[in-house]
Parts: sequence; C-alpha cells; structure tokens
Amino acid sequence: MTGGADGTVRDPSDILSPEAVARRARIVRRASRATLRRRRLIGNTTRIVCYLALVIALIPLVALVSYTIERGVSGLSVDFFSQLPVPQGVPGGGVEEAIIGTLIIVGLAAVVAIPLGLAVALFLIDRRGKLAATVRFVADVMSGIPSIAIGVFAYALFVVPSHHYAGITGSFALAVLMLPIIVRADEVAMRTVPEDLWDAALALGARPSRVARSVVVRTALPGLVTGNLLAVARAIGETAPLLFTALGSSLLVTNPFQPMDAMPLRILSDGTQADAHLQTVAWATALVLLAFILVVSIVARTFASYATRHAR
Amino acid sequence: MLGSPRRAGVDGDGGRDVEGDADAGSGSGEFAVTLEHVSVRYGKVENAKQVAVRDVSLAFPKNQVTALLGPSGCGKTTILRTINRLHDHTTGRVSGAVKIGELDVYARDTQPEIVRTRVGMVFQRPNLFPTLSIFDNVVAGLRMNGVRKRPFLREAAEAALRQAALWDSVKDRLGLPAVRLSGGQQQRLCIARALAIGPEVLLLDEPCSALDPQASARVERLIVELSAHITIALVTHNLFQATRISHRTAVFLLDEQNSGTLVEDGPTVDVFSSPKDPRTLAYVTGTIG
Amino acid sequence: MVFAAVVVSLVVSLVWQAAPAFRHSGFNFIFSGTWSPDTEKFGAGVFIVDTLITTGVGLLIAIPVGIATAAALSEFLPRRIGAPLATCIDLLAAVPSIVVGLWGLLVLIPIFERDVEPFLQKIPLVRHLFGGGDLGSGILLASVVLAVMMLPTMVALTRTALQGVSVADREAALALGGTRWQVVRRAVIPGARSGIQAAITLAMGRALGEAIAVSLVIGGGVNMPHSLLATGTTLGSAVVSFFSEATGVQRSAVIGLVVVLLVFSTVTNIGGQLLLRRRGGRSFSLPDQGVLLADAEVVPT
Repeated sequence: MTGGADGTVRDPSDILSPEAVARRARIVRRASRATLRRRRLIGNTTRIVCYLALVIALIPLVALVSYTIERGVSGLSVDFFSQLPVPQGVPGGGVEEAIIGTLIIVGLAAVVAIPLGLAVALFLIDRRGKLAATVRFVADVMSGIPSIAIGVFAYALFVVPSHHYAGITGSFALAVLMLPIIVRADEVAMRTVPEDLWDAALALGARPSRVARSVVVRTALPGLVTGNLLAVARAIGETAPLLFTALGSSLLVTNPFQPMDAMPLRILSDGTQADAHLQTVAWATALVLLAFILVVSIVARTFASYATRHAR
Repeated sequence: MLGSPRRAGVDGDGGRDVEGDADAGSGSGEFAVTLEHVSVRYGKVENAKQVAVRDVSLAFPKNQVTALLGPSGCGKTTILRTINRLHDHTTGRVSGAVKIGELDVYARDTQPEIVRTRVGMVFQRPNLFPTLSIFDNVVAGLRMNGVRKRPFLREAAEAALRQAALWDSVKDRLGLPAVRLSGGQQQRLCIARALAIGPEVLLLDEPCSALDPQASARVERLIVELSAHITIALVTHNLFQATRISHRTAVFLLDEQNSGTLVEDGPTVDVFSSPKDPRTLAYVTGTIG
Repeated sequence: MVFAAVVVSLVVSLVWQAAPAFRHSGFNFIFSGTWSPDTEKFGAGVFIVDTLITTGVGLLIAIPVGIATAAALSEFLPRRIGAPLATCIDLLAAVPSIVVGLWGLLVLIPIFERDVEPFLQKIPLVRHLFGGGDLGSGILLASVVLAVMMLPTMVALTRTALQGVSVADREAALALGGTRWQVVRRAVIPGARSGIQAAITLAMGRALGEAIAVSLVIGGGVNMPHSLLATGTTLGSAVVSFFSEATGVQRSAVIGLVVVLLVFSTVTNIGGQLLLRRRGGRSFSLPDQGVLLADAEVVPT
C-alpha cells in the first residue's frame, strides 16, 4: 500500500497497471503537442533577444574605433610625431616626447618583467604541489589589482623617499602590472607543449627546468611571444600607474630618472583641456595608441591560433 | 545469471495486449521500431570514407529486448541515435526510413520533440541534472513537455521510480540533490526519468559501462522486467550481457570501407549458437573484435 | 619568492602611508561621509557609496547583456560566425581605459546631456531616480562606461562556461523532448552556473579598480548622491583627482582610500578566482590581459 499525495491510500499496482501507464502516456503526448508551438515561440523570441544583445555588445567597440578615427585622423601629421607640445592656443605642436617616453618606460618595464616572468613560470612548471598552486592563485589575483593602487604603491616606495618623480619608477609600476600576466601566459604556453616532448627530454636524464629551458622554450616560442606581446600592449595603454610616478612633462626627456611623458598621460592632459585643437591632438594620440594596441592584439591572436593549429 | 529470457511473447506474437493507445499510432504491427536502409554520413560531401553506418535494415519487436552488439566504433550507437533523431544536432546526415509504429521519424512534418516523447534514452554515464533534486530530475521531462499539475507529476514520479526499482530507496528523500545517489542509483534514476514520460521504446546506450558489477546486475534485471511493457533497444559491446538479457541480437561490424554495417540479426539464441554469417561466428567466438 | 616580496611590500607600504589618516579620524574614516580638505575632516563614506552605486548599476547593465550575448555566441550562432564576433568583443577589452575615458568625456557627455538624460527624466515612475543634478557627467554615465568595460569579461567568461557544459548533459534534456531553447535553459545554463558567478565576480572586480575612465565622466562631486544624475566620485576616481594636490593628512587620507579600494578589489578577485577553480581546477586570465589563446588552453592547477 502506498500513500497517495492527496492522502488517499493507493495500491501501487494501480498506478503501474497498463491502463494507468497508457493514460499517463496519452496525457504527456497531448501536452507535448499542445505546448510545442509555444515552446518553440519562446525559444525563437529568446534567440532574437540574444542576437539583439550581441548587437548592443558590439556597438561600443565600433563606436570607439570610429569616433577615434574620425576625430583623430585630422590631428595626424609629420609634426605630430616630431614636434613637442605647444602651449594652449598656439597652433601646431606634436607629441614626440610622449611617444618616446612611452617607448622608454614600457621598454624598461618589459626588459625587467619578461625575463622575470619567464623565470617564475619555469619555477611553476616544475612543480605541481601546493606551493605552485598558491603562487598561481596569487598571480591570478594580482592580475586583477587596480592599476591605480600599483601606481600609488610605486609612489610610496620610490617617489616619497627620493622626493623625485622619475620615468623609471613608472617602469617599475608597469613591471609589477605585467608580471602576473606574463607568468600565467608563459606557463600556459609551455604547458601546451606536447607531453612526449617532455618525456623524451626527461628520459635523457636532464633536470626538469633545464629541459624546459632548452627544449620547451624553443617549442613554445610562438605562445610565449604572443603572451608577452599582449602583456606589453596592455602596459602601453595604462595611465594610472604612471600618474604619480613618471608624472608627465612637455619636454623631450630621455633620462629615465627624470619625470617623463607617455602617450596615455598626454591624452589625459590634452583631452581635459577646453581647447579644440588640443582635444584633436588627444584624439590623434589615442588613435595611434589604439591602432597599435588593436593591431598587436589581432596579430597576436591570429598568430597564436595559427601556431597551435600547425604546431604538430 | 538470468538465463535466456523466456516469457509469453518471446516468439513475437505480441503476447501482451496492445495498450489501447489510440493516438499513439503504434498500430497493430509486431514491430515497435523499423529501420529500412538507414545510413548515416558525416560531413557534406558524399564521401565514402565518412559513412559511419551503411544500409542498416532492422526491426525491433514489441516488448522485447533487442541488443545491438559489436566492438566499439561499429555504428551501434550511431544507429541507436537515429531512432530519436539525436543526429539533428550533429553533422550527421541520416538517409533511409525510420519508423516508430506508423510514425515516420524523418518525415518532413514530424517534429523531433514529439518523436522524443515516444522514445526514451539512457546514456552511458548517468547524466542527471546536477542542480536538481531527485524528484525534479524524474519529472524534468514532464515539465519540459508542458505537464505541470502536481498530483499528476507525483503519480508519474512514483510510477517511474517503482518501475526503476528505486522507489523504496528514495521515497523519503525525494527532495535531496540527485547527485548524492550512488552510481548505480543515478543510472536507475536516469531510467526513471526516461520512463516518466511514458515512452513506448527505450534506448539504452551501454548503460552499465560506468557501473560496478553489482549495480550492473541490478540494471540488467531491471531491463528484463521493463521489457514486459516496453520495447528496448540495448547497445552493448559485452557479449555476455547480450546473451543474458536480450531476446534478439543484431551484430554490427566494420566492413571493408570502414563503415559500420549490420552483419546479422536474429533471436539471440540462434545468433550465438548457430550464426548464419561467418563474420558473426568469428565475432562471437572471440576470433575478431 | 620575488613575488611574495612584491606583494608583501605593496601591502605594507600602503598601509603605512595611510596610517596617519586612520589615526586622525579613527574607524570613522570608512563610514564618514564628509570630505573637506578645509576642515580636515576626511571620510570614505561618499566614495564607497558612489563606487557601489556605479558598479552596481554597471552590473545591472552588463550582466543581462553579457549573458545574452554569450548565449548568442555559443548557443545560437554557428561556429563560423560566432568565433570571430567573440574575438571582436574580446578586443573591446584591449582598449585602454584612457581611450574609453576620452570617448566618454568628449562624445558621451554631450550625448547624455542632450538626449539621453532629458529623456530619462520624462519616464514616469523611474523619473525620480533621475531627479535634479546637472545633465551630462555623473553617476549614470560612469555606470554606463563601467558596463562597457565589464562587458568583454562577462561575455568571454560566460561563453567559456556555457561551452564547457558537456554534450552528455545537453543530450539529457534533448532526449526528453525539449526544444533547443529548453535545452539551454534547463541543462546548459544551470550547468554553467558557477562559471557565470565567476564571470560576474571578476567583472565586478574589474569595475572596482577602474579609475581613469570613471574620473573623466563622473563629475567629481563629494556629496552623497541624491540621484543617478548627480556627480560623484568613486574610490578610484578620488585618488586620481585628489592625489596630486593633497598634502599631509589629506594625502594620508587619499592613500587610505587606496587601501579601502584594495581591500574591496582583492576580496572580489579572490572570490572570483575561487569560483573559477570550483569548476574542476581550471584557471583563466581575464580577456583584457589578452591571454585567451584560441579557446583551447586549460591549465590543470
């Protein structure tokens, strides 16, 4: 005997009788047929809503690129690349010092972060234990630290004691920013190297990290280059870490121990002026920056998927 | 060992009463499902290499267990999936005719969702909905098909769970997350979930392959019990399982062009003791496969 | 090793620098809503509120759009169209925040001022959210900008979560007679739940840390907001705006803001990373770090 949900006592064989089974099956099929149109309709409507969302999601990118091109193109000229900024109201001028500054600051940061990141990645790839997992976790969390916090940190660490703003402090901040990204990217790139390559080299008796260094790094080179390139592209666009470190300037500075300008800083200072000409310069600088970053990103991705597809 | 199943109806005379299901269209034929010259191709071009299964004609007698037997990759699962149109969602193209009773599965105006209310499927590994309770899992199919009334759901759930020999173990904990059950219980829950909709055919794709021997035996027992009311198609690569629980066996092997093909089918006893095709003989004696 | 050194020193030096501010106003610092250099009363309250509002409204926009877009890309569109479009959305993450900020400042503010906000002020009921306040820059615009910046993260991680649902789970729903959408709703989305939670959390972390773009569009008010159109200042934008001219206690206070921001952001990021790992030990880098290689990389942790 079994208790029915409505309190009546039912004989289990009742609900299992062929008649009951057939009755239920009939009901289900009827319901299925009756609701099919509505279910399909809901599905199609949802599909359209999602397509709409996709369009909405694509708008910002399109808008950003097109506005930047439209408003920045007119600012591009030979002068733009070779002249220093002029005071408000004076025509002409360019952002040469910002471009050079960016190259120097990011270059220095990369010189430090790339090898260091590779070293940490090699350290990680040897190990599988808790320590490695913790380091990876910390790296991932660190990659989410607000860049403004990194900037203030660099400020507290270097600018305060030395009473001096310097481009190289900005490099330090950028390096701190890039490090977690590079570490993870490098590790991923090296892990996708096929197992047999590892085994073959290990069988020859080499210690894991030496194996890694010579064989795997060479094989994983495309992935490594991609990852590092993307990290550099990210660093080039960062403003906040440089605000309180490199500070910015209007002079052509090549000594990293002096305050230096950089493209993002330039955009910030020009774009916030009420002067239409300066705003155009800001757009133009943004255009150069954006173009560079997007091109690097696209190339890096295409290269990466091409490489992984043809690696074997 | 359950021995060779011997019950009324094993000779194909449709021993059980027709269930009086007027609009199911199951007709009065003795075969629940028939396949005629069914082939499945992958890819766009009529490329011989990409024929997964070639020219299978097979009939599944009502309320019996038919085993689709053969080594891995010979098309048994592919054929199984033609019955409930699962290839709609892959790149596979099905040609030939598949009929469930009078219903032409691949006719232009046949809705796959409707087909699937008449055919249930259980997969190799239990694929319960992990976020749902036991009860919600069992009635998931009912809800998806638009059946909402609670008393009905409860009745159907109890019936299905009883049929799957699970009712007594779970009746007091229907609200528990389904993932808490053991592997064997989960698989039986999947069977219950499929049964709840009231299908006339149940497709089982190597249902015991992820289970330990004990759970396996219970499921096999269940299959035999269920076959009294439901037509069962069972894919297996386990010859012993086929001998244990199936009435008929269809043997699939690869042909010279590396496509799966139906080599022989008939009553299980015959297929194993006196096979007509030399390849079958080779297979059941373990010479190949 | 070097790592640990960097992390530790970061935390230590910041806290040290901020200490004076805390000493000055005690725990009140976090809750007090006043920020006036003149009276030397500093409280993070306003900034915390503004940060929460902008992030919250931003999420309100980015979550539905993000999930729907991810669904479109992974469930509805065929691979050949979906994959390149997904890459486009990922590229949005590569746009530097200064460029987004510039665009917000010079393009969006006029648009909002002229068209959007007057329009919003006319809608019955909702209208009261958009009461008084200058049109143009403000909390609403900042929220929109944040939503734009959160979108790529949302889409990419949700898409990965959706695609990670196994075929077997989908087939379970399919075999029971569900329509395509029913399969998505009942099998795919629940299966992707923790991945979606991770996406939301990490997107939130991204928004919390965004200072530059926000500072350009939010207007800089230091009073408690009375409407979505009011100007405000978030923790990040406060640092950007106030740091340079601040001295003495004020500077400590600003650094205190950085500490608060760091706490919020780190907690959120840790939560997000933990959620990501719950799905079987994979870990990903966010799209704006550009480390999503093909869709193929899985790092067993």
